[in-house]
Amino acid sequence: MHTSARALSLSSRPLDFLACSVFLPSSWNPRLLVSPPPLCTPLVCPDSACSAVPATAQPPVLTSPVPASSPDSPLDNRLSSVCLSGCLAWCCCSGEDHHFRICRLSLSQLIIMPRLAVSPSSKPNCSLIGLICIFLTLSATHTHARIAVTIPEQVSLLASMNTQQLSISWLGGEATTFDLIILRTEFNETVFYGTVSVTVNQESGRHEWNWTSAEPLECTSLSVRIRSRDGQMTSDWSDTQILQGSDVPSNKDTQIYPQDRIVPVGSNTTFCCIVAEREVFGSIQYRSTVMSATRLSRRTYAATVVNQGPSRASGTNVLCFTDRSSSLSGAVVFVGYPPQLSDFVCETHDLTSTVCQWNNGRDTSLYGKRRTRYLVNNRDCTNNSLLQQQTECSVPQWEENWTLVAVNSLGQYSLTDSAELSHRVCPVAPVELSSVVHAWNATVQWQWKYSSYSSLALVCQVEFTAGGYKTKRTFTGVGLRSAVLSDLHPVEDYSVQVRCGAQQNFWKWGTWSKPISFKTKTDVPDAPDVWMWRNRDGTGQVIWKPLTQRQSHGQITGYSVTFWNPEENRQHTVILSQYTIAVPFNLTQMAYLSGDNKVIASVTAKNADGMSPPASVSLRLPDVELPAASRAVYTDEGFPLSWQSNANATCSFVVEWHETSCTYDCPVDWIKVPAGNTNVSIESANFQPGVRYSFSLYSCPSDSPELLQRWQGYTEELVPSGSVRLSSSQQGSDILLTWRSMPMVDSRGFLLGYNVYISNGSQLTLLANLSDLETSYTVKGFSMGSYKFTVKAYTSAGEETGTTVIIAMESYSDWLILEILTSLGILSLLLVIATFICYKKRKWVKKAFYPDIPEPKLPSDWSSAQGPLDVKPSPHSMVHIVEKPEWDSSKEMLVVIPEEDEDDDGQGIGDEPVDTDEPTSLRYYNQVVDERPIRPRFPDSSTSSASSLDSAHTDVTYTGIQTSGSSLVFQLDPQGSSEGHQPQAAHSVSCRGGGYQPQMQPRAPSDDMGLASAEPLLEAQAACSGGYKPQSSWHFDSPMEAEERGSLAPSLGSPTSIASTQFLLPDGEEHGEEKRQSSSAATWFTNLLSSTKP
Amino acid sequence: MAEQEEQPITQPDPPGSGQSRTGRAVSIARLLHRECTRLLQLYKEKETFLSDHTPDGGRIVSLSSESEASSAEEQVQCLHSALRQCLGLLHCVILKEEEEWGKLEGDYETMRKNVRTRLEHLLHTTKDLVETEEMILEVTPDHQCNEEVDGAGGLFGLKMWTYRVLLELIHWSDHAAQTLHVLHREREGTEEI
Repeated sequence: MHTSARALSLSSRPLDFLACSVFLPSSWNPRLLVSPPPLCTPLVCPDSACSAVPATAQPPVLTSPVPASSPDSPLDNRLSSVCLSGCLAWCCCSGEDHHFRICRLSLSQLIIMPRLAVSPSSKPNCSLIGLICIFLTLSATHTHARIAVTIPEQVSLLASMNTQQLSISWLGGEATTFDLIILRTEFNETVFYGTVSVTVNQESGRHEWNWTSAEPLECTSLSVRIRSRDGQMTSDWSDTQILQGSDVPSNKDTQIYPQDRIVPVGSNTTFCCIVAEREVFGSIQYRSTVMSATRLSRRTYAATVVNQGPSRASGTNVLCFTDRSSSLSGAVVFVGYPPQLSDFVCETHDLTSTVCQWNNGRDTSLYGKRRTRYLVNNRDCTNNSLLQQQTECSVPQWEENWTLVAVNSLGQYSLTDSAELSHRVCPVAPVELSSVVHAWNATVQWQWKYSSYSSLALVCQVEFTAGGYKTKRTFTGVGLRSAVLSDLHPVEDYSVQVRCGAQQNFWKWGTWSKPISFKTKTDVPDAPDVWMWRNRDGTGQVIWKPLTQRQSHGQITGYSVTFWNPEENRQHTVILSQYTIAVPFNLTQMAYLSGDNKVIASVTAKNADGMSPPASVSLRLPDVELPAASRAVYTDEGFPLSWQSNANATCSFVVEWHETSCTYDCPVDWIKVPAGNTNVSIESANFQPGVRYSFSLYSCPSDSPELLQRWQGYTEELVPSGSVRLSSSQQGSDILLTWRSMPMVDSRGFLLGYNVYISNGSQLTLLANLSDLETSYTVKGFSMGSYKFTVKAYTSAGEETGTTVIIAMESYSDWLILEILTSLGILSLLLVIATFICYKKRKWVKKAFYPDIPEPKLPSDWSSAQGPLDVKPSPHSMVHIVEKPEWDSSKEMLVVIPEEDEDDDGQGIGDEPVDTDEPTSLRYYNQVVDERPIRPRFPDSSTSSASSLDSAHTDVTYTGIQTSGSSLVFQLDPQGSSEGHQPQAAHSVSCRGGGYQPQMQPRAPSDDMGLASAEPLLEAQAACSGGYKPQSSWHFDSPMEAEERGSLAPSLGSPTSIASTQFLLPDGEEHGEEKRQSSSAATWFTNLLSSTKP
Repeated sequence: MAEQEEQPITQPDPPGSGQSRTGRAVSIARLLHRECTRLLQLYKEKETFLSDHTPDGGRIVSLSSESEASSAEEQVQCLHSALRQCLGLLHCVILKEEEEWGKLEGDYETMRKNVRTRLEHLLHTTKDLVETEEMILEVTPDHQCNEEVDGAGGLFGLKMWTYRVLLELIHWSDHAAQTLHVLHREREGTEEI
């Protein structure tokens, strides 16, 4: 380490009076400075004078490194000049190095000469007169000093290597102030220079002064010189005393200092390495860190470690490396803490001696030889164990006041304690524990190590452990030696230990005794916990929970179940093995036992000590309607269930639960709730998420159980695991989606509804959310095509994967056609059936509605006079069918209607229906006097035609027959059966002949085809009608007329017969009105039956 | 780090047991050598500055030159003497270390205890092998442990000296394995242990 120094400059003084500047080491104590002499004479130091004084390496020439001057140095710290009056000095002044020199002059006067700090501007100029004055002054002063200040003698050095302290003693006479200078001998580097006040040691008669070195004293040799001072006067320097370092040539090996030093944590330590001869210094390492080293001498290098941390047990290594790899030197430094204790207390165990304890606090990091040593009341309590730090010390008697002193190399720490013995009793652990064991209790006994405890009031804790649980019980007594432990459990392993304390002035619990173990005796079992499950069919199970070890009180050997009727005192007992926990019953088969009365099952457990008390449950439940189940919400503590209870109720409750989906012989669990409770929280390790559980609350389970309340709930609702069973159907343009409700097992939660989606590619579009749990949905308005629908059920946890159905819409016009055809088919079938019925009943129908028309009664034989009626029809005459709604009896005559065109005729009847002639016929019948049924005028076949002609009559009213050319024109069209022509034929019968031509036979020579078709008809008419042939034989008189008629033939060819008999020979008018009333209905039946007439 | 073979430390087996006495001695010596090597490794882990350092200087324990040409039995007798010296050194190391550092319970201290017991076992074994009526062999160490350790002194010197003792143990345990193997070969006529 470098020793810093302050530069003392006198540059502020006039240059002519500047003597020199002195650089002092920083260790200089300013208080020891000598004030500058008031009459100090300026000393001029010419440069040339330096060369005249040879520099010596001996003590008179001391060197010290001098740093740059400090401008802040206080003025009083400056040794303005060491001017010795009466001395003519010439000084060595050099500005090239940082040393000052003490120049020995011929007069043995010391002048300190600056070599550096003199500024160029202060270069002295010697004045001859001044020099003379100075010389005279110094000479006078020096003469005076030689008289008052003596030179120190017999300088002695005493080094303490461990503390790095140098004790300097000398004989200094009367002086009390001395200047000391300490230099490293080899490099002449000043490590100390100062003035100290030292008194004489009265014992030795010597002056003594101690100096502590920053470096170990072994590092290098130190030179010490002393001189006396009296004010400004000083003596000569004493002879130099040298403290020999370890770097002397005689010690050739590498060394490192300090060795095995113990320092406090956070301190700084300087290590020096003395390199072996002919080796080159390498480095200094602290632990594994290379330190920055400074050279102190030819072989010595030093490095300082700052703020050292605590070392381990074997210390911290400091290594010195040289250029020789095999050469390894080092030292060990121990960095630790001084002791710092706490919690120092003393107590007694045997009521005589003292045991003191304390807490060591932080680890001192000093072990082995360097460990902390302890003294209690100045007795060394340090144990010989090197294993761990000591925390206890024993003193053979009670002293009531104690002082603990802990000492290590870094310091000491002391604590005190005081107390009376009775306040510090800590009993020792009880010994020789024993026990006397029963089923439900045990007695623990122990002994005391010291007989003095027999009169000591003790409080003892007995701690027994069973099944992992610890229980403490406290007992008191003088000299307590036993304790009775009650309320134990049979067949239970117990571990017991005891500790005690003083009952009076309790100080602390003593040490636990060694534990002892015992096992309690056996006893009869506890009553089992019984419940039952009943199915709807009267069967069920009596179930009980297996007895735990704590309930069985010994090995269970079996169970017995007794079914009995309390009213009739009949019973049935079943003996079961110890592994049985349920027995089935069937109430229907126990009718002999119970009838309709209640049955109680009593279960008892048995072990070697006997039978347990019975546990009963009633098997018959009242047949009442199940109360609605409310929802139970699961919480962290289970299903919280609560109910209202009658305040006077004395029965307990049972809450049973099982999976809701189970209905027969279900694995049921239960819990019994004491009477008066109105809530319970149900928790079970068997609860599974997504499973619905049903909870039922029963009252009075052992006597007359009654179901009070029901709940259902899930511990956690999940997404349904199954899917709905979906189907679809087309309804016109609509699609009906139907599905089945999901089973409860698959729903895994309360179903909240269904979501109906339509699929568009991979995307589902929600169509409907059915929150009312409907199981069908109609999607309307779809055209032809394929559609995909998905239905998903959902719970509070979400919706299931869903079921998808694809439906292809078909054209519904086909369905319309099909419906029409179906309707027609049905209608046709009805017509056929009606026809068939009528056909079968035709005789009855004919008889009822269409009796046979009697043959006309002719006054003469028309057949003999048969011949052509030679009446030429007039084209201007016609037989016109007159519509006359009302019968006018006054017009019993044929009315001649002026001839009209066919078109006019057609228009004239244009208001009539075109598809039937019946109204017209009816109207005609209103004018017909004959009440006989009307026959069809146009038979469908020749056979029917003949028949028709035979029976037909013409329901026309001959309003007038004109002999001059009026005629009746028959339609000869072979297609005359066509219905399309019927109205025209019926309504527009035009007789252009102008005369009467009722049965005209349209024979026209020029129109064979018309005649050919007309002849058979006429012949049939003739055959059926008998003597009415003259009407059918008429013909056109002239070709012209024939031709003219020929044009009318198609419309006149209808084989119409005229009921000429009736017409011609009316029976009278008395029946006319009656006939008119029935003619309308009869006409339809007539037509019908005529067509079906065989 | 080589895996160490754990073998219980027992007293010498009675004559006539399965393995030959010389073979058993060789096995013990080899095991001791492995344990000494491990002990040095643990010590270097504590004093890391020793990891790259090879001390100069000769053996602490050395045989006299007269024994070089002697028989196998005589070589084992010399070996026994050297091992006895090593045991004395080890005792001294344990004593000084516990005095200076305290009684610690780390891996190094445990292995140090094992080596001491194994070395004592080997000494008993070699004693049984080569002791004659004329040559009475001692097992207990005669090292008084009162001499200064290596010249530099101080606790750093103790560490260096401990290091040298551990190297000495490795050297002599290896030497014991070889010497005993020679004896085994001569007596049993086979290389197999």
